[in-house]
Amino acid sequence: MSTQTLTLDSHKPGTPPGDLAIWLFIYAELLAFGVFFLSYAFARAHNVELFNESQQHLNRESGAINTVVLITSSYFVVRAVAAIRAGLSRRCAHWLGAAIGLGGVFLVIKLFEFHAKFSAGISLSTNTFYMFYLSLTIFHFMHVILGMVILAAVMLKARRGGYNAENHTGVETGASYWHMVDLLWIILFPLVYVIR
Amino acid sequence: MHNIENQRSQFIRPCTRVWLGLLVLTGITYSIGKMELGGTQIVMLVLVITFIKGEMVAGFFMGLRKTSLLWRAIMASWLVIVGGGIAIAYLIGLK
Repeated sequence: MSTQTLTLDSHKPGTPPGDLAIWLFIYAELLAFGVFFLSYAFARAHNVELFNESQQHLNRESGAINTVVLITSSYFVVRAVAAIRAGLSRRCAHWLGAAIGLGGVFLVIKLFEFHAKFSAGISLSTNTFYMFYLSLTIFHFMHVILGMVILAAVMLKARRGGYNAENHTGVETGASYWHMVDLLWIILFPLVYVIR
Repeated sequence: MHNIENQRSQFIRPCTRVWLGLLVLTGITYSIGKMELGGTQIVMLVLVITFIKGEMVAGFFMGLRKTSLLWRAIMASWLVIVGGGIAIAYLIGLK
């Protein structure tokens, strides 16, 4: 293996970036969300009119903006990984800080959405659609918070110079988790806000 | 400097193109929702777009395109099963 390859990717050839344990966790999370997504889809199949009518009261703009926000924060994390692979730990920390900031924007937009719904008297028991909408998005919301905590821990270590071009598994591990959070929203948005 | 140039050509540039592509596809999905378009063909289009976006994130951002077939197959299978299940559920709802 060449030195150049070692510098670009710290993980073993053929395996994904980051710690193997995070990938087992990611696939377990995907399985859980997959069951949740399919439960929503099949519940909708038996209540099409209710789901279509309730969906019209969602703020589709917020959902779309949040998709852009998460995709962009994921891209910032890509830049953080690229920076640390080039041995630039300060730049890595800056990109991670920007990604965390966008994670915060996502949470604020989502909180406005939740506030609007709760203020209108909508709750988990309003109907089947809102039970799924609220539980799915709150479940995802908690994953965003966890992802931000992980990225913050990685950022602080990167700022202290705890990673370098040869040793940055921690950055790739945090990045992989954050991309999963993004991936889940990429499916959640069309499923809940668009498909009718 | 050599490392930075390698990063730009091998990792950053493809991911920048993917990021822009994801934004365009998100715009298409949002437009479909905004116009409140429905029907089997539209829903299948939305699901295909979602599958492509998922593969882009998994392959480029998560780095799975450079991994062994097993890792890529697990992710692709998940996307196909979830997307296919949603499609089947939608078709059931039409009856």
